[in-house]
Amino acid sequence: MKKYSSFSRRSAEARADKILNSVPVRLLLVLLMLALLGFGGYELYLRNSLGFILIGCAFIPICVMIWARYELKYVPTGRGNSINDVLSNECLARLGNAPVPIELAQWVPTKTKSGAFLARRYAISSDLLAAIAERMPTDMQPIFEKALEVREKTNSEVVSGGVLAIAMIECYPEHEQLLKRMKLEITDLYDGLVWFNYLNGLVRGMKQRRHTGGFARDLMFGYTPLLERFAQNISKQYENTRGSNVTVSLHREQVSTMIDIFSKGGRQNAALIGPDGSGRSTLVHEFANEILNADSNISSRVKFRQIFKLDASALISSASERGEIEGLVTAILNEAMHAKNVIIWLDNAQLFFEDATGSVDISNILLPVLEGGALRIILTLDEQRFLEISAQKAALANALNKIMVEPADEVATMKVMQDRVPLLEYQHNVSYTFWALREAYRLSERYVHDLVMPGRAIRLLEAAASFAEGGFVTDASVQNAIEKNYGVKMQSSQNESEKQKLLNLEEILHKRLIGQDLAVQAVSDALRRSAAGVRNEGRPIGTFLFLGPTGVGKTELAKAISETYFGGGGKIIRVDLNEYVSQNDVARLIEDGATNENSLTAQVLKHPFSVVLLDEIEKAHPLVLTTLLQLLDEGILRDARNREVSFRDTIIVATSNAGANLIRDYIDQGMDMSLIKERLTNDLISNGEFKPEFLNRFDEICVFQPLTKDALLAIVDIIVASTNKTLEPRKISVTLEPEAKQLLVEHGYDPKLGARPMRRIVSKTVENIVARSVLSGEADSGAEITITADMIKAAL
Amino acid sequence: MLAISFFEWWYSRGWGIYFQGFLAKLRNMADSFSIGLLLKTLFQPFRQISTTAGKKTTVMEKIVDALVSRFVGFVVRVFIIIAGIIMMTLLLIGGVILGILWPVIPLMPLVGVVISSIWGIWW
Repeated sequence: MKKYSSFSRRSAEARADKILNSVPVRLLLVLLMLALLGFGGYELYLRNSLGFILIGCAFIPICVMIWARYELKYVPTGRGNSINDVLSNECLARLGNAPVPIELAQWVPTKTKSGAFLARRYAISSDLLAAIAERMPTDMQPIFEKALEVREKTNSEVVSGGVLAIAMIECYPEHEQLLKRMKLEITDLYDGLVWFNYLNGLVRGMKQRRHTGGFARDLMFGYTPLLERFAQNISKQYENTRGSNVTVSLHREQVSTMIDIFSKGGRQNAALIGPDGSGRSTLVHEFANEILNADSNISSRVKFRQIFKLDASALISSASERGEIEGLVTAILNEAMHAKNVIIWLDNAQLFFEDATGSVDISNILLPVLEGGALRIILTLDEQRFLEISAQKAALANALNKIMVEPADEVATMKVMQDRVPLLEYQHNVSYTFWALREAYRLSERYVHDLVMPGRAIRLLEAAASFAEGGFVTDASVQNAIEKNYGVKMQSSQNESEKQKLLNLEEILHKRLIGQDLAVQAVSDALRRSAAGVRNEGRPIGTFLFLGPTGVGKTELAKAISETYFGGGGKIIRVDLNEYVSQNDVARLIEDGATNENSLTAQVLKHPFSVVLLDEIEKAHPLVLTTLLQLLDEGILRDARNREVSFRDTIIVATSNAGANLIRDYIDQGMDMSLIKERLTNDLISNGEFKPEFLNRFDEICVFQPLTKDALLAIVDIIVASTNKTLEPRKISVTLEPEAKQLLVEHGYDPKLGARPMRRIVSKTVENIVARSVLSGEADSGAEITITADMIKAAL
Repeated sequence: MLAISFFEWWYSRGWGIYFQGFLAKLRNMADSFSIGLLLKTLFQPFRQISTTAGKKTTVMEKIVDALVSRFVGFVVRVFIIIAGIIMMTLLLIGGVILGILWPVIPLMPLVGVVISSIWGIWW
């Protein structure tokens, strides 16, 4: 490969560009020109022939400025493909005779446009490149060779600063580990360069004037005073603009179809049907922009047509009576038809087909217009509304030319976000990093439910601007936006103390739960696996079935998990499945939040980081269990509005008393717990309590043993500790003598009811004794009440 | 080397860039005056104006009404076309003159010296 030389003609021109296009030099040239012209003129006034020479010399700075402006600023690439032929101006001007990587590190991220772009979005800073440069040979040749490859892969016109930065990284032997630490892949950087090239192209395009027909374009079209009042002319914003105005388009095909529809005969309408956020409105704007392009080859039947977005609320507010509205709409449609260059756009078209607050049914007026095809109309509406309208007004639905607008995939959404970022940055005065875009896609997909891609990602990206730190919108800003704007409590990142908490999970859970070592162990192991990232992201964090008699700590363990795993920020969503015993109850489970804020899906939408406690699961109707299968398997449940509600950040705990007697029998027979679990599972399947496919969906089936008297003694301690916590404001504390505890256990033990009677006994004895002492004045602030067995006997 | 670069550019690519820029200006002006569009729609009604809108009219009245509207349209368009042609002609003349003079511009200091000498001899 031809070696780099700083003596090439392009290098010399690039250096000249750096000098001649600098502001002081340009100013100097202008002053020189003016001075020469001024003095020249003055000399001529004095009839001195020197004036001609001075005026002639004034053309020297003029020529230099023209040359610098039109040639040096954009030194064209050479004819060959060597590095000397394709290095960008800004690089050529700064590369010395014998460049070394460390020099590049100093100016690439700060002095070159594409280098600064990568520094801002991908954190490819001077420090990073300097650290890399220190660990690599000083020979630049391999970097230049790699740069030529990167240029080819990214379709870059020149080897710019950004290309050199990526080439440097790729030449660094440990670049893969480096990029992994930065949560990047080399293709992300390539995409970044493509992103820069695209934006750079847009900026260059802005220098060209756009042809939109001129001021005499609309002379043959009628005036539209009513439309100006009740509709918004969206075509106006695309007139008198510079550049091509071409943005990343998701729906080129749909725009072409719209142009086809309006270019030919037949029904002159297009119904854009797709979910909210899929880009229906953007599509109409793209269409409006496209048909204003005087240089395009589209039919004159559609070229230069103006799109008016009709405002339903303005219509309703100006005409209170139904007849008035119909009269007004008729007048507007007549005006549009008479003007001959109007395309009416009914955004959220359902507002014009139903009588409700903020909407008006004008279908009887629109139907003949749509069927006749004389007036051009665009309708945008979502799929569900279209189905509803189709069911009620079949003739109307049949009169429409339907164009489906599908949600975007990840690649397309990223491109749309990249396209939208400059506008958002301008509006909010921030800079978006690449990670912010990626996080916006990831989190919006999971937590923004009322829109589809790309709308949901863009909305989150926009919301994140308010949480920028130091002018930068990062992945943390996006997480903050999800928390604050959408009420989704994000799981805090695991710091050292949280890691320790997870490592000692059994110990922490045992502070609230006595015994049940096997269940606690199984749950702790599963949660640790999840926290370490060794879990399937497409399922809930953990799914557990707790089997055992009542009062043995099943619910208590679920509460302890919520508090420990979600750091107190989580919530426990309890669903008593004994209330879901008929097949009609399935609807209640997945009801829309607007109708029932306590439905399972509505609660999880609001609190995705929660423990979902499905209590008494054996009592639920089989159809309810079938509904829950998808939840356990894929972490997804569709609600009544057909929205995907993610349970992938929840821990599902189902509890059941089924087989409680069997557990007791097996324990009495002295059977090992692991064997009990196996036998019990088989028994529950064979006696028809649960289907095998249902039990197989759980990560762990935990069998809870009946509590022993020793365990109850520890439970007494926990209950008394809780009483002491209640009494803490009064500075009174209670202690129980061992005999008193023993006595409480004797009276509170019931193998069938577990620890439940214990709390009642403590309430009846200990709390009563304390209450009497406080009221009689025996126990005042700072008192320590010691309860003896006799006192308990007396209280019982 | 830079001086050679400059002269090479001025008499090759530079000249071409000048004409490209000039043609772009002409096109922009043509678009601004919509000359092509005006010629295509020379006899179309002006702004769809009508003196009989909303009234019951006979066929004859309609024809007269349309004729009036088309006549107004024709007059307005002709005026705009004439104004556009004048502007474009001026631009064209100026552009062509500058294009012809383009090769002389870098030589203007020499031209100045020559004129100065002639001036000195004559006066």
